[in-house]
Amino acid sequence: MATGESSVSDLIEVRVLLFSVLRECVGAGEVALTLPSSATGSDLVDRLVERYPSLDPYRSVVRLAVNRTYASLDTSLHDGDEIALITPVSGG
Amino acid sequence: MAEPTDVMIERRDERRWCALSAVPLPVGEASAFLFTPAAGGVSLFIGTTRRWTEEQDPDRSPKETERLRYEAYEPMALDELVRLADEAAGRWPLERCCLLHRLGEVPVAEASVIVGVATAHRAEAFAACRWLIDTLKERVPIWKREAFADGTEAWVRPGG
Repeated sequence: MATGESSVSDLIEVRVLLFSVLRECVGAGEVALTLPSSATGSDLVDRLVERYPSLDPYRSVVRLAVNRTYASLDTSLHDGDEIALITPVSGG
Repeated sequence: MAEPTDVMIERRDERRWCALSAVPLPVGEASAFLFTPAAGGVSLFIGTTRRWTEEQDPDRSPKETERLRYEAYEPMALDELVRLADEAAGRWPLERCCLLHRLGEVPVAEASVIVGVATAHRAEAFAACRWLIDTLKERVPIWKREAFADGTEAWVRPGG
């Protein structure tokens, strides 16, 4: 998944997708984040809440999806990952 | 608000049909898909937009809904529908399974979701259908926003 440019770097870049109430909080459906290559899902959530404090109230209920599959917060992230923050869903 | 990008994205084979649709759900086609000589029972659950929602406080009058608007993380929602159908097929002997969800605006009395299964006997059909709609509501990344007759709107909290 690593690109030629970033394979020698200690940083990874990921896309973060936001939906419903989180998209409205941030004002965008997608943001790019650069993280240390050791970053986990909870590091990503920390970084996002730091940048967008209005996300803080949702922190305790949010689930993570990595590349379109639910993943736990301690999952290691990789360059190019597509991460989604999923608040409690309400389909049906 | 992100509009659904395609009219319908779907994954369909002879036994399993999962789809997200920006246009009214094809109820007749869903039941035709489920009818098969191997099945002795078809269970079809259709979720629709309800006009009245009771307030938790019994002294307040029910709220009137005008329409719902559904938003999805579309590629993952479709993947999750397929995973649900496959998981159900591992738990019950399903001859057919369809999971169809509408996106975008759904006016009152129109269908937002169709869950259908066909099995040899009715007990499995009821059980699988119940499990599928309950689990869909917990897992599939779709959110609904409710527009009320008084002009207000709100994202729906699960369990409500």
